[in-house]
Amino acid sequence: MTPDTVRCRCPLADGASLTVTATRRPRMNRADVKCSVPDDARLAGRMQQVLRLARLTEASFDSRDQVVLSIDRRPPEGERGWELAAVLADRMVRGLLRPDAALAANGWSDAWERGRVDGHTLGAMQAGDIVLGGPGGLPHLGLLSGHADPSAAVSSARAWFPLHSGVEGGMGWVEVSVHPLARGAGQDAVEEEQTIAAPDQDAARQLAVRQVLSGARHFDGRALGRWRSVVRFSAGEFAGRSWELALVMADRLARGRDFVPRGRLIASGCSSAWHAGRVDTVDGVNPKCALLLREAGPGDRILLPRAWQEQLPAGFAEQLRMQGASLACVERIGII
Amino acid sequence: MRLGFFKRAAPAVDACELGRTVVALTLPAGSAPPSGCQAVVVGTDGRTRRLQAARRIEAREGETAYAFHPGPYTADLQPFETAPEIGLRTSFAIDAPDPQASQQRFDLYLSSEVTVRLELAALAAAIEAALRHELATGGLELPPCTTLDEWNAFRQGLNQLLYMRFGVTVDDCVPVDLGDTRDYARELGQRAQAAPEPAPVTEEARPAAAERFEPALEDAKALRRLFLELPCLMCGLRLAAMPAAQEQFHRQQALLQRLDLVSVGVNAMPALALAAPGQALPVDEQLRRARHSRRACVSLDEAWALLARLRQAGEAALAQLYGEAERIVANLEADCAGRRSVSSDEETP
Repeated sequence: MTPDTVRCRCPLADGASLTVTATRRPRMNRADVKCSVPDDARLAGRMQQVLRLARLTEASFDSRDQVVLSIDRRPPEGERGWELAAVLADRMVRGLLRPDAALAANGWSDAWERGRVDGHTLGAMQAGDIVLGGPGGLPHLGLLSGHADPSAAVSSARAWFPLHSGVEGGMGWVEVSVHPLARGAGQDAVEEEQTIAAPDQDAARQLAVRQVLSGARHFDGRALGRWRSVVRFSAGEFAGRSWELALVMADRLARGRDFVPRGRLIASGCSSAWHAGRVDTVDGVNPKCALLLREAGPGDRILLPRAWQEQLPAGFAEQLRMQGASLACVERIGII
Repeated sequence: MRLGFFKRAAPAVDACELGRTVVALTLPAGSAPPSGCQAVVVGTDGRTRRLQAARRIEAREGETAYAFHPGPYTADLQPFETAPEIGLRTSFAIDAPDPQASQQRFDLYLSSEVTVRLELAALAAAIEAALRHELATGGLELPPCTTLDEWNAFRQGLNQLLYMRFGVTVDDCVPVDLGDTRDYARELGQRAQAAPEPAPVTEEARPAAAERFEPALEDAKALRRLFLELPCLMCGLRLAAMPAAQEQFHRQQALLQRLDLVSVGVNAMPALALAAPGQALPVDEQLRRARHSRRACVSLDEAWALLARLRQAGEAALAQLYGEAERIVANLEADCAGRRSVSSDEETP
């Protein structure tokens, strides 16, 4: 059950921070959203409007809940970074996001009704675990569960992978953004690996990313020579090759070639033959399964190598299903 | 004096598209249903009757006669908005009438949602929207790397959903690569070219007259749907799930009672443009009322989808589905109350 109270911090450019507190209670014929900002009724009205607009992007609506939001003090004049914190708190308190999805956030938007986040107000300062709105951070609310923005000109999708260190390792994510490849009429076909970039990664990882993606796209059959791709990884170190399956699936989602999970896609697996679409096994069954049980939420899709099927802990799949997630042990990517 | 039965049955107008791009079409009274088609007569009160093997359509004053072709039809559905290159090639048909039902679901669909003609494209778009909504809310599951069991469960759910919601029977449904007809890269390129110039919002960007939100029109359509479909929904809920335990029986009774009240409220809904008799309502409040009635129709769609899930649910899933039903009914109540209220400030703080 989701908690009745959720807090989301909003750091500001001057180093101070606001705290948005959201509570949920039975509605009993009251307004669906109530907002309060100390000494500023106009801003409270704006906050309610932001929340109502952002709710238009949600799939289903429950009129039985009332959500009350407050900010602990009045934001400086012209400051809009609290908008994202308020929207995320509103979703977390109703259980649409995991309650630890965003402990701190800063972002604003002129198009909340489309789920777009235009930017943040933090300047260049980046510290710790803050969800930042805008390009390079969170350009679209759906990306919190890995989904592409249906109205953007760049298609970005994320997939998650359990880190090998398992117990305290947590989850990493990989994001693939694809742009249509502009090619002149007389130009020769470009080598697929030249169109894939993985900034902020060392040369070995860049090479691995390029080889994996061009192999998997070769398997796809309709993917070569059409896209310019940028691959980003979450912050933090990781080793091994078990992120490969997550990368391949994020790429398929970004290119609009695969069914979309309702929640996050969490995958662990590698391959020595991506051009055949084969998925090989990786290490760390037990710590990764323990981690997945802690992390999996409603709608999440978990993909593991076929070889793990017999090694899974007893009752693993049932437990995942109870949490609303679904599991498949695959030996190939693609439909069935 | 000329007697009616000497008249030749007039051939139906542009009926040759029936069965290809048009699913159903109104016919003038006295004409003959085209070959291979069946006829449904819809009364002013929304009641429907099928004409079995009629040579000529006999419709009374105020009644509308439709001819529909049973199909089969084929449509490529795109189950996810952000995945345009993967689709479901679905072929469906309007089956022979179910002798157990007092009213065929397809006839109800015709009477409550169709005006003049039902194009295949419009029906496919409605089916696609219903499918996407179910996938987004978790009523149906179609995850990446679908296993055979998951696919079979999805197919059963889809069959049941389309039968309950539209009265059509799915013959076949296979995943297809839509890459031949759709190019996602080109679509993204067009979006990129359209994006940098937000200035010319003047002429072409404005939606055409048909797409614009006309409060009076939308509201009338929505209220007609509520008026016709709520009684059928209640009937369906009674039949769909036999309560297994006393506690479930109470929940079902409570739901039916609340739906009954909503239904009575819909039948006595105040006019859109009036705050009180003889007193006009401001235009923005009319807009708000129309939005509420349209949202009530979303709940109506969700309720049909839920009935489809109830029909095939096991004992274990019933409790969760009843919870879902309570959410839908609460939303219906809230939207009907919003449709009735004169201003948005009426809610108690």
